[in-house]
Amino acid sequence: MGAPNRARSGPALSFRRLAERSTFFMPAAILLLLLVFYPIATTIILSFFSGSSFVGLGNYGAILQDPATLNPNGLSGGPPYGTLVNNLLWIVIHLPLSLFTGLVLAVLLQRVRGASIIKSFIFLGMVTPLIVIGVLLGFTIEAPVGFVPAFFGSIGLPSLDVNWIAHPTTLLFGLILGSVWSWTGFSTIIYSAGLTTIPKDYFEAARVDGASEWHIFTRITWPLLRPVTLVIVTMSLLWELKLFDIILGATNAGGGVGGAADVLALQMYRYAFVALPPEANKAAAVACMLLLFTTLVAGFLFRRLLTGDAPKPRAARRLATSTRAGE
Amino acid sequence: MIKLIIAIVAVLVVSNVVTGLAVYYASLPPVSGAKVVTVVGPWAGNEKDAFLPVMDQFARTTGISYTFTTTRQEDLQTSLPNQFAAGQSPADLIFMPSAFIKTYAGQGYVTSLTGTIGPSTYKPGALDQVTANSAIWGGAYTGKVKPGFWYRVSFFQAHGLTPPTTWSQFTTLLASLKGITGVKNPIISGDGVGWPLSDVTEHFIATYGGASMHQALTAKTLKWTDTSVHDLFATYLVPTLQAGDWSEPITWDSPGVNLFWNGTYPLYFMGSWITGMVSDPSDLGVFSLPGGVANQGIVFAADYFFVPKFAAHPVEAKRLAAFFASAAAQTTQVRQGGHIATAAGVSITAYPSVDARVAGLLTGKTVLPDLDDTIGGTFQTTFWSQLQLLWSDPTKLDSVLSTIQAAT
Repeated sequence: MGAPNRARSGPALSFRRLAERSTFFMPAAILLLLLVFYPIATTIILSFFSGSSFVGLGNYGAILQDPATLNPNGLSGGPPYGTLVNNLLWIVIHLPLSLFTGLVLAVLLQRVRGASIIKSFIFLGMVTPLIVIGVLLGFTIEAPVGFVPAFFGSIGLPSLDVNWIAHPTTLLFGLILGSVWSWTGFSTIIYSAGLTTIPKDYFEAARVDGASEWHIFTRITWPLLRPVTLVIVTMSLLWELKLFDIILGATNAGGGVGGAADVLALQMYRYAFVALPPEANKAAAVACMLLLFTTLVAGFLFRRLLTGDAPKPRAARRLATSTRAGE
Repeated sequence: MIKLIIAIVAVLVVSNVVTGLAVYYASLPPVSGAKVVTVVGPWAGNEKDAFLPVMDQFARTTGISYTFTTTRQEDLQTSLPNQFAAGQSPADLIFMPSAFIKTYAGQGYVTSLTGTIGPSTYKPGALDQVTANSAIWGGAYTGKVKPGFWYRVSFFQAHGLTPPTTWSQFTTLLASLKGITGVKNPIISGDGVGWPLSDVTEHFIATYGGASMHQALTAKTLKWTDTSVHDLFATYLVPTLQAGDWSEPITWDSPGVNLFWNGTYPLYFMGSWITGMVSDPSDLGVFSLPGGVANQGIVFAADYFFVPKFAAHPVEAKRLAAFFASAAAQTTQVRQGGHIATAAGVSITAYPSVDARVAGLLTGKTVLPDLDDTIGGTFQTTFWSQLQLLWSDPTKLDSVLSTIQAAT
């Protein structure tokens, strides 16, 4: 990989070419510096202060010791668990559900007439503002107006025929499960695009060899979709880390009953905009924590994409191995 | 190439200048001879309908036209600070809780109303919550009393029930209500963003802990984890929650009022504005929690307004502020029902009969400001959400009180 790069860079650029490139590069660079890097730097600095006093990691310590962030009683008594755990729960539950629902839909709709229309409907969840989705979710799980409690009541499950908004467990898991549909549109569309990139020869050859549909899926489709899966996982992780609108729309600035649905971004919002007077330093500390988490996730994705370390299907790996052996 | 670069730079400069000028002129206040004042308040629906006649009266008597916009105070609390920081205001006069007004008065974003309104035209203490550093930063409009549990007189008559006068009678009444066919729970728990639960909790505190406990919690001189506070919750509120006397929290407005009115939940703890939300206010009765300590209190929550520093029409806004503080304006408002005047000189004959009965419940009790409105900030959202948790799981009383204390 190194040699071609050196060849492309060639001899030192002339001053004229450098000036030309800089002219096109500078406007974007200046905007990035002013609108992205400067606010990030200011936020990081702000997070180490309390008023005008330098407190080091004091704000981070205070936030991590706050039961709103990590509730030790949650482990034994159920929700509220705290914002960190709630964000983690969103990732653990919401991500695989939306990912595999999208994958299943994309595969099922692969050879369906009018699939684009169905996909458009599925994608509606992605283009609906999240705050609207939050309000809608609130309505659907709140008794006596919502259809979710009414449905469980009608099928003889009285323990779920309750006001889901009013109880910590049903609120948290109701919002996580209820919002799967909104993000499924994203994974469905990306997987559908990914499926079109797999050469049809692979499938035809497998069928000629008598492979079952399950084997075709597990040996060809799924391995070749792994780069796409990587993108979906990363984007979903970022979405679930910065989750805010749905919770605020469905509950309130406190994250609902006992803060059961509270998340880091909502906690940051409370510090910045609800507290009287505003606690900007703590808000900055939460923002930095979110920045760290999202940077780690994004860094992982970019490293995989830039290094081209995308997994290959087993068949392709076998082919590559035999080719190298022949050499 | 040089020409291309010059062309790009020129386009960028021109487009930026045009955009900048457009933004500048769009953000300028309108310059016209017409007198107008813009108002932002929290009322919608029936409450807004009851408020607009006051604005109409102002427009008639002063010749100043008005626009009124409904915005929730929880939303304003997040948007106003940014607008103030940008040197702008969404309206000339805004209704907000007293804690917000005092906080931002301290930062220079509120116009002093000293000289425009004053204590002499108000009932005693009405402006205390918006007075700081010897200046008056806001005005008190009418207020609402949170007197106790509302019931339908016809429902009680049909089932041979009477309002309780002791705690024992109260629990007996709750047991009787549970035995009536069609009653799901005796008391409906209002919800929405959370304040109805805090209102009823404050009523328990003001009745069984007395005005002094309520005042001490508001002033943060008494801890929520104190034994006296814990015992009050454990003795009175928690047993009723555990006995299933309360419904799950239900959105307080239309569904809640309808379920109360049709007898599914025969008791409703609510402010006096409920009289404006039912089809027949004359069928409403109300009783406070019975028994309690000697020096009881009752929460009277006034609606406060202020004139922002960046109001586009400060002169007209101050005239409106003076009008809201007057007996004339508040007489018009209390006639609509559900409101109690803060201004002196409002005749008792102006009140609908049900509100006159509410006013009677104030006799002999200390008038208290709304606890969570007075403290404000994250305490308020924590207080609301923790009470929702207590309603969901009353066994979590200790952690609920600890979390509320941590938020003070």
